[in-house]
Amino acid sequence: MSRLRTVIVTIAALGAMAGVVGLAVVFLGLFNTSAQKGHWPITSWVLHTTFRNAVELRAPPPSEVPHDLEDAALIKLGARHYDSACRMCHASPGEVATATIAAMVPRPPQVERAVAPWRPEELHWIVEQGVKMSGMPAWPDPHRGDEVWSVVAFLSAVQRGLTDEGYDRLTAAESQGYCAGCHGPQGTSRAPRLDILGPEYIALALAAYRSGERPSGIMSHALSQVDPASDAELAQRLATLPGPGRAPLPPPPAAAEALARGGTSRIPACLACHGPENSNPLIPRLVGQSPEYLQQQLILWRAGQRGGGERAVLMHSAAQGLTDPQIEALAAYFASRDAFPEERP
Amino acid sequence: MTRCGKQATRGPAPPAFLVLPLMLGACEGRQSALMPGGQDASQLFLIFMVMLGGAVVLWVALNGMFYYFTQVNRRHFALRHGNRIIIGAGVILPTVVVGALLAWGLSIMPSQRARGDGLVIRVNAEEWWWRVEYWPPGAEAPIASANEIRFPAGSRTELQLTASTYIHSLWIPSLGGKMDMIPGRQTVLTLHPDLEGFYRGQCAEFCGASHALMAFEAVVMAPSAFDTWLASQATPAAEPVTQDQMQGKSIFRREGCGACHTIRGTEFTGAVGPDLTHLASRASLAAGIMEVERDDLMTWIAHTREIKPQVAMPAYDWLSPEELAALAAYLESLE
Repeated sequence: MSRLRTVIVTIAALGAMAGVVGLAVVFLGLFNTSAQKGHWPITSWVLHTTFRNAVELRAPPPSEVPHDLEDAALIKLGARHYDSACRMCHASPGEVATATIAAMVPRPPQVERAVAPWRPEELHWIVEQGVKMSGMPAWPDPHRGDEVWSVVAFLSAVQRGLTDEGYDRLTAAESQGYCAGCHGPQGTSRAPRLDILGPEYIALALAAYRSGERPSGIMSHALSQVDPASDAELAQRLATLPGPGRAPLPPPPAAAEALARGGTSRIPACLACHGPENSNPLIPRLVGQSPEYLQQQLILWRAGQRGGGERAVLMHSAAQGLTDPQIEALAAYFASRDAFPEERP
Repeated sequence: MTRCGKQATRGPAPPAFLVLPLMLGACEGRQSALMPGGQDASQLFLIFMVMLGGAVVLWVALNGMFYYFTQVNRRHFALRHGNRIIIGAGVILPTVVVGALLAWGLSIMPSQRARGDGLVIRVNAEEWWWRVEYWPPGAEAPIASANEIRFPAGSRTELQLTASTYIHSLWIPSLGGKMDMIPGRQTVLTLHPDLEGFYRGQCAEFCGASHALMAFEAVVMAPSAFDTWLASQATPAAEPVTQDQMQGKSIFRREGCGACHTIRGTEFTGAVGPDLTHLASRASLAAGIMEVERDDLMTWIAHTREIKPQVAMPAYDWLSPEELAALAAYLESLE
């Protein structure tokens, strides 16, 4: 009995001493946080091995990888976002990061080396979640994993051997400004064209992105580089920015037109708001919009993951009953008709 | 906002048994099986009265015997006599009475299900309102309405009942029995109303958040008046006349109301919500809970989901009072 007591007292004393040492390290500044030397090799090994295993354990199943990961427009969107948000640390293919970045601990790996060991679903998890204690941030919005696939598409292109010339072509500066990189004539169909939207609606969208009502990692990053005071002027300018040209689409199935025009007893008629007779400037025109963008937005509406303005509640109700094939058909319908000049079929 | 139904009066709570007679107040009025307005309800009323009378007789007889054998005649019975009483009053009498009631009840059922005289009304129960279609004999397309069922007096009308998502039940106590409305199948109820007037119907099967707010008006009209009314329901909507009404129509268009509501004669052709072509000719708004007048319309449009939980129509709370008033003016003009 007395022996057990000795053991307990000894453990308690050791614990108390460890606590005092710990407090001293924190409050007396005993631990040297200097990054000049970096971690001990054993620390690096522990951290990196933990990271690798965490990714393997938590990455989504391969079945969640979209089938269109090699789509050029998706790669372009990812590349543009990468260029603006990630390149400073991971550099571009064939490029070396700045000396400042090279002095980071741990040092961010150059993009080609960084992506080499990972499968697409693992890349998705890393880009979406970030890496604690490494300087790698999580995706700015926790609910937009769908956007992350664009960056994964780009990173997969890097794995397949994207050259520095290829990278420069994907991310070339636009004469009409930063936004035009995705939304302009040389942009990507994964971003909406803006010339069919009025300045009122664009201003509403900008405000919704800023407030988080309309969650988006890509757009919140892009807008964090714009002075909010210039949003109104920006909206005016963007409303005239021509979108990327594209080959004419085949006519959509007649059922899609009937659905858009008349709805069903469960689905409101799209054209009542988005048709030529409605001139409400706070309702977006859809005719001529990119089909990929329309499809993605309808999926977000249906999931209740999109907001934007008071009337968002209308789309939450409207999209609730849509099936996947209906979403695809409606996107094809609105995309297939040319927006100008009359919006009419 | 006015709601149909009686408001409870305030005051100190009386003993419960004193309240019971007050409940008899619910037995009169336009939603009462005890005020029959048609053949079917009359039959049910007769059954009820016969059973009530029978129950009174049995109650008096049973208690009379109990009193007699415990207080008046307390002598010891022979087993033979006792058995006779038990077998006679405890076995044979109930068998005969219940058997007779069953036979009578079953004999009434065919007439409750008799074929209609021609007019068919299809009612589909939605969440939480009634989609109504009139199919006169020979019609190729229905005449659409909602939240109100009108009958010609003196003939048998067939109600074909369906439901969208949940099980509901249609009941107009003054006109007949209730009938379940079941998604994926059709049930039929026929009614033969005789007494002209306004009655109230109610969903009689718990169906979700707004079950208690799912009522409707049932109107029995003279046959000629019914024909005139039905012909007017088949016409397209009235065009707006005043400045207010015209502004209301443009707000209706601008807010996309036509995505869900049809107003015949306009470009509004939505099929999700009630047909509004002749909204102002109806006796109630929002399925029997409000009136079709300015204030109720404005309140309803701006606060749908507060008034009727989980209803499909979103609350248009961003519209200004002026816009709501114009919208209401347009809707009020749809007679």
